[in-house]
Amino acid sequence: MRPVAVIGAGMTKFGRSEWPLLKLMNVASLAALNDANLGDVKVDGVVVANMGAARLNKQTAIASALVDRLNLFPAMAESVENGPASGASAFKVGYQAIASGMADVVLVTGVEMMRAVNNLEVTDFVASLSHPEAEYIYGVTLPGLAGMFARLYMERYGVTREHLAMVAIKNHANAMKNPYAHIHQTVTMEGILTAPEAVVNNPPIAEPLHMFDCCPVSDGAAAVVLATQEIAEKLGRQVVRVAGIGQATDTHAVHERPDPTELTAVRLAAQRAFSMASLTPQDIDVAELHDAFTILEIAESEEVGFFKKGEGHKALAEGVTSLGGKLPINPSGGLKAKGHPVGATGVAQLVELTWQLRGEAGERQVENAKNAFACNFGGFGNNVVATVLTREG
Amino acid sequence: MDEKVYGARCKDCGKEMYPAHARCPECGSENLEPLEITGEGKVLTYTDLYALPLDYEQRYLRLAIVELDSGLRATGQLLDEKPKIGKRVKTTVGVVRKSGDRKTHGLQFVPL
Repeated sequence: MRPVAVIGAGMTKFGRSEWPLLKLMNVASLAALNDANLGDVKVDGVVVANMGAARLNKQTAIASALVDRLNLFPAMAESVENGPASGASAFKVGYQAIASGMADVVLVTGVEMMRAVNNLEVTDFVASLSHPEAEYIYGVTLPGLAGMFARLYMERYGVTREHLAMVAIKNHANAMKNPYAHIHQTVTMEGILTAPEAVVNNPPIAEPLHMFDCCPVSDGAAAVVLATQEIAEKLGRQVVRVAGIGQATDTHAVHERPDPTELTAVRLAAQRAFSMASLTPQDIDVAELHDAFTILEIAESEEVGFFKKGEGHKALAEGVTSLGGKLPINPSGGLKAKGHPVGATGVAQLVELTWQLRGEAGERQVENAKNAFACNFGGFGNNVVATVLTREG
Repeated sequence: MDEKVYGARCKDCGKEMYPAHARCPECGSENLEPLEITGEGKVLTYTDLYALPLDYEQRYLRLAIVELDSGLRATGQLLDEKPKIGKRVKTTVGVVRKSGDRKTHGLQFVPL
């Protein structure tokens, strides 16, 4: 297999978009292409990550539309729908195309326009990934699954609502340093948990999870340009190599897992990515984890191997995962504060890590980051893609 | 009420499952028969869902995963004013969702 590098990265600001779906894709894609500065080198593949355009925006076959708008003919093109893991899945498809020799330069664009419909509709759209007969019919939603997961996890490992709030406080603080983040709001322990008005500021969503434990509903797009390492070197770019990708699946109904507090697909995807990269979790300098709910950042930080099971919340409380700590997690603000346009999220994680590895992350830069890790979590953990990026030289 | 909830039992190895699959998760056999999901068990975890999904008009929806004495687990609605992890419950079947004129039946857990 040929080595593959990320040679361009870009995104739109996440939040409520004034632009239609296709313009979101165009803007993020052009930002990545301009960053890659390809000159005469042609893009010969396009992969779009998206979960809901057919339902939310009444648009289909959007990869072909993107090729048209960017005049990338006759590049091969397709969309990838893999739930909330669509972004990293699409990145994997682009990687495979180049590694196998089918393409030399691939544009991977993730996009979601979720605020085109009302809250009930968007919640139902995401809930449609749950098991139709064993979960969905009961009114199960993603927050519902996360609430049940959180209650059991907290009971078993001594995680408290204070720990969950620490995730939100940290990620909101990081997002203040990210101009692309959906939410620019400083969050305090008093404001969301301990002061009397916290009851009003931070209402319950799915007990024990409250509003500030859940990611917002966002519009947004993110894009990267992938190329052979040879082309990357020829273009004179700082090479950010795709060192490892791992993916794993788990049962559709969460209750069927031998231990519903274990995110087995997260563990296996990470193991596979680390094994392919010939690296260990201890080699990672910066990580983006899929904190659609605060509890997930803690649980994933353990499953991927950064901390022992049940120790993640302690590392968090000690500041290990804050900017300036030994292993900053979600310097971008994470899904919690940067936002979660589902199809775009997995790509946006890799955009952030590319910037981090190149030293272009501004105020939220993790000093001298060399190895980076992302976890893109689909379903409620039934399809997970992990990626390791490495700076060469 | 004649509505029931079914998982499956493998006719080759005896493995019971809920929900049903097209192949046995244990031995891979396609030779499966319906298995009624019923009985007593204990609450493994639960949540009060305040961000209500489509089709529900109430203050919150109480959902749970229950570990049945048969060893199977099931997700359903928990009809208990004082829920607690580990509390004993039994399965009943009732209307769990109303969408327009369509009523869907499913598992509702009640305290013993």
